[in-house]
Amino acid sequence: MSPPNYQEMIASLERYWADYGCVLMQPYHTELAAGTMNPATFLRSLGPDEWKTAYVEPVIRPTDGRYGENPFRFQHYFQYQVLLKPAPEDVLDLYFASLEALGIDTKRHDVRLVEDDWEQPTLGAWGLGWEVWCDGMEVTQFTYFQQVGGLEIELVPAEITYGLERLAMFLQGKRSALELEWAPGVRWGDVYRESEREWSVYNFEVAPVDILTSRFEEHETECRMLLDRELPLPAYDQVLKCSHTFNLLDARGAISVTERAAYIGRVRTLARKVAQLYVEKIAQPAL
Amino acid sequence: MPSLLFEIGCEELPAPACTEAATQLRSELAKLGRGSVLVGPRRLVLLVDDLPEREPDEWVKGPPENLREKAAEGFAKKQGVGVGDLEVRDGFLGVLVPGRPLLEALPERLNEIVRGLAFSKSMRWDDSGLRFARPVRWLCAKLDDRTVEGFGGSSYGHRFTHGEVPVPSAREYLDALRAADVEPDPDARLNTIAEGLRKLGLAEPNPKVLAEVVHLAEWPTVLEGTFAERFLSLPRRVVETAMESHQRYFPLESNRFAFVANGGDPATVIAGNEGVLEGRLEDASFTFERDVAKGIERLGEESARITFVAGAGSYGDKVARLEALVDALGGGDASREAARLAKADQAAELVREFPDLEGHIGAEYARLAGFPEAVCAAIDEQYLPDSAGGPLPETETGRVLAAADKVDSLAVAFGLGQRPTGSRDPYGLRRAAIGLCRLALEGNLELDVAALSARAHQLLVDQGAELKDDASEVAEFVEERLEGMLEAPVEFVRAARASGVTELGGIARLAEALAASADTEEFEQAYVAYDRANRLAGKSDGAAAELDPKLATDEAELALITAVAGASPKIAAALEAREFDDALAAAAELRAPVDRFFDEVLVMADDAQVRANRLRLLLDVRDAVGALGDLAQIPR
Repeated sequence: MSPPNYQEMIASLERYWADYGCVLMQPYHTELAAGTMNPATFLRSLGPDEWKTAYVEPVIRPTDGRYGENPFRFQHYFQYQVLLKPAPEDVLDLYFASLEALGIDTKRHDVRLVEDDWEQPTLGAWGLGWEVWCDGMEVTQFTYFQQVGGLEIELVPAEITYGLERLAMFLQGKRSALELEWAPGVRWGDVYRESEREWSVYNFEVAPVDILTSRFEEHETECRMLLDRELPLPAYDQVLKCSHTFNLLDARGAISVTERAAYIGRVRTLARKVAQLYVEKIAQPAL
Repeated sequence: MPSLLFEIGCEELPAPACTEAATQLRSELAKLGRGSVLVGPRRLVLLVDDLPEREPDEWVKGPPENLREKAAEGFAKKQGVGVGDLEVRDGFLGVLVPGRPLLEALPERLNEIVRGLAFSKSMRWDDSGLRFARPVRWLCAKLDDRTVEGFGGSSYGHRFTHGEVPVPSAREYLDALRAADVEPDPDARLNTIAEGLRKLGLAEPNPKVLAEVVHLAEWPTVLEGTFAERFLSLPRRVVETAMESHQRYFPLESNRFAFVANGGDPATVIAGNEGVLEGRLEDASFTFERDVAKGIERLGEESARITFVAGAGSYGDKVARLEALVDALGGGDASREAARLAKADQAAELVREFPDLEGHIGAEYARLAGFPEAVCAAIDEQYLPDSAGGPLPETETGRVLAAADKVDSLAVAFGLGQRPTGSRDPYGLRRAAIGLCRLALEGNLELDVAALSARAHQLLVDQGAELKDDASEVAEFVEERLEGMLEAPVEFVRAARASGVTELGGIARLAEALAASADTEEFEQAYVAYDRANRLAGKSDGAAAELDPKLATDEAELALITAVAGASPKIAAALEAREFDDALAAAAELRAPVDRFFDEVLVMADDAQVRANRLRLLLDVRDAVGALGDLAQIPR
């Protein structure tokens, strides 16, 4: 059996998790540095309600760009995110079965769970879990959330984040993500190489520091205003925009180490307030 | 006697959690009997060979016998026995509660063990309230062939090749698991791995990697792979770091490497791992070439703008301080050049990728730029020694730079009010201090920590650092480390630290010399002279600021003044020359005039001026002998 191409791989994961009962979501509409930041994961992890979801998320990490010249590093790539809340007892078996569904014979390969403690200081979030290795290739991060937005988790979810490029490299036996078959006759690089080059120029050389600096302030101000109006969901978008603006400023080298901690602190403060408001307003059972 | 198997089945535990659990389970085992503790990624196992059939009987002590009338009935009722069942032991009423049969007692005991295990990082995963390093998924307990009530009678084999494994009896547990591709015994896994590596020509594998991979596989096999020869042009350390830091591989000679797998088809698994390593090497070589294209000088300029520590300026400021400190340490041009380039690699992409390469990769970039080997080696060695027993820099320039770097880091941390407290030492300052002591003792570097740290502090102030404290406590902090490092008893080290010798190696040798001569006549004489003077005058605040010989009237007083004037410079000169025996001999000469002074002269004279002058004379005696150290620290 020939390995699935990139889009078939995504389709298989969609099918598998839909069959399990996940709500299939679509990518979020603003830049995220990780699928975890999508409100379908970040906010829905909070509170007492059960929730199962799966979705593709394009992740934007300006500092990771390499002008499309490096086979492994991109400022824009994809994760497949699954959140199961509460974590079912057989969650690992479910995950391994998803690999089988992709055509990975777990008896033929060396599949391993290697300790990885996950922490996202800007979101006040941490959890314990693993990197999943297939023959030495890290293809997934698996995390049991313990805290999100500075709040202790009520109902512990399992988060499964497939790194789609690495998973595809493993499946297709390719040493460069650029060489992956996306669709018949079309490679990953055909779709995104020029985009990587141009965005790397933007991220590292062109993004206007003064505009971004004031934009960060504006998003922060707007977030506070929305918190005052008790609108946690729109307020959370402003947190995401602050975070992305900060990442761009970082890529431009416009942030000193000291300022860095201060910026992260500002985003974290907002994320905590949003989480608290969300739990107060939405996650409480209806009276 | 029956055997017990107790297995806590988990999702994959990190290696440190396995180690933490093993320690705690061993102390549980000691309470139960003989047996073994086996730990691994998916199971923590307690095997007990000879469990008694019943728990031991327990004597429950009640009220004293003389209160029988008042209290016996209540006590008996509480224990659920009749008054007639109470016995008397040692004047107290009590009841002997027979131990429960083991099968009855075990469920509670075993559950307590699970709940009692503590981990430095633990988590919740459901609403059971249990905290553990990773989720617990099954508990299997067998007493011989009986399944303990409330527990399972089955284990689980290798995650991908075997499912549920019924355990017929405690004694058959290991065989059942081994037949299901699980080796529960970590020592057996370690042997398999070590043997496999030895066959591939690796006799001394990296112990850190080894300790981790033992707990990364339940059915380990050692496999060998190769990578493309073109990566051999990368510095060896870069190649090895890429293998070890993330992949947990073992570098072999040339372009070969070994790794531990947990199963799978060997050819498939090897091909996969080779691809991953080549990817990592590709990445490293891409980064390496970008750094090299910039060159060490430009990296130096870039790093100069990076903040070293908030409040203490940039790496540029740090380098300026290092240059001044290596000068103060008597380093030559090569040391100064090494200091100038020491932190350039903080701007290297490769260091951001692999922090362990700091120093080493800077040295590599300096070599590529054609700097002399003395300069490159010093850059390479600047963080040594990086562990308690780790090697010292081999080159003189390296020792000088390593000492300067440590003194500066200590002065910065103390200046910012971040000295270590209790077990908190985030900047590794104790290690730095021990490193300085070893550089002095084993590296024969002359280190006056008080002077050097004061200099570093002054430089920081001149650079505009916003400091809370000065560096006056740095020397004390470093010298305290000597106490645990020398043969001489602690009291002698403390005494020597208070001497006129301020340089680390000198303090150490003085402490050893004092300890070695503690039983000699000279030591006794010097000690008595010091002690008598110190006892009377040490705590007095009535002494004159300076001795006025004209106020001396008695012959004994004049004799002591003459003796001190003679001995004091002799002692100082001998100390300066590190002739500690001579210094001690000179100090010993003061004993006789001190004794005579106390016999013949009344220190607390009526005349205030005379009294103050005599107290001053005694303080001068104390200080002259005290140049050898605070002898009052030494118990006699």
